[in-house]
Amino acid sequence: MTAIQQSNAPTSGSGSGNLYDVLELILDRGLVIDAFVRVSLVGIEILKIDVRVVVASVDTYLRFAEACNRLDLESGRKAPSQLTDLVGEATESGAKGKSKGALTGAVEAFSESLQKGQEDSAEEEERPARKSSAASNRRTARRRED
Amino acid sequence: MGTYLYAITAAGHPLRLKGLNGVGDPAAELRTVTTKDLCAVVSDAPPELRAKRRDVAAHQGVQERLLVDGAALPMRFGLVGTDDAQVAAVLEQDRDSYLQRLSEVDGCREYHLKVERDEDDLLREIMRESAEVRQLNDRTRQNPGAYDDKVALGELISREVQTRQERACADIVARLAPAAVRTADVEPTKQHFLNVSFLVEREKAAAFSEAVHEEAGQRGDTYTFSLHGPLPPYSFV
Repeated sequence: MTAIQQSNAPTSGSGSGNLYDVLELILDRGLVIDAFVRVSLVGIEILKIDVRVVVASVDTYLRFAEACNRLDLESGRKAPSQLTDLVGEATESGAKGKSKGALTGAVEAFSESLQKGQEDSAEEEERPARKSSAASNRRTARRRED
Repeated sequence: MGTYLYAITAAGHPLRLKGLNGVGDPAAELRTVTTKDLCAVVSDAPPELRAKRRDVAAHQGVQERLLVDGAALPMRFGLVGTDDAQVAAVLEQDRDSYLQRLSEVDGCREYHLKVERDEDDLLREIMRESAEVRQLNDRTRQNPGAYDDKVALGELISREVQTRQERACADIVARLAPAAVRTADVEPTKQHFLNVSFLVEREKAAAFSEAVHEEAGQRGDTYTFSLHGPLPPYSFV
């Protein structure tokens, strides 16, 4: 059975990754009016990296080659199925409480890893914004290493 | 100061905003700007607004409340107009377009799906199916200094990875799309080869969710499906 993570389950606690996606929708999607000003979201734009460019790089080729060299064909190891469950009811009441919980959770998780990655403690309320920037920087860095 | 815009609804929406906070600290008070056919939920725009936790949560909270009672067009976080009069002017000017979009998302929710696959599993599949990859792999294993061969191997794999991921992505979306009204592609990320939003009618949410589970079950445990929703239809307005 495949692992399915559903972000709006209040107890899922499955890390910042999937919760972060909800935040991404709020910041990156939604209706825009051209005549209006958009508040500055420092660092957020960095998230939009063209993956295709990253994939077609010599660094990526070497990483794939090495991963392939290391691959043990015999083992056929299966990824552990970390079933965190699950969809359950997609009800309206579920929607109200749960997606909000997920959002809060996301930002909290961000703050946590921000603290790990960045020692200078910004004022409490600035963390979500800064965190986004820190997270995307780290992502970028990881991609470059790859 | 400016006017912060949260969402646009039809004029008949009940707009139960009581108990909700706007963005800013102290939280701005929510109010509405109405025209004959449309209504905008707004507040004063706090000075130096940023994407802080409280503000993003307030923005999202408004969307969730509005959705309970009817269709609403969620704005992207952080939109600020000069004043209420400008908001009213925009509502008048683009009235038809907004009414059209409201009818499109009426009774629907967004579900966002991300899928990743264990990389080793994908590499094994490529190795099994490509003699050229196996040859190059043997050669570079025996001779780790063969830089050109390594690059050639990696480039070959990279192409295979992309082809296979695009195919899997198209397959999955094709199987789930019938359970949804519309789909909206998002660029894949490095981690998730599939990153797609579905607009799903409320009554069909359970069926959609079931379809996702079924698809996940068939893909096996080297895939991880992450489903987010129900959400305001951010990707479909």
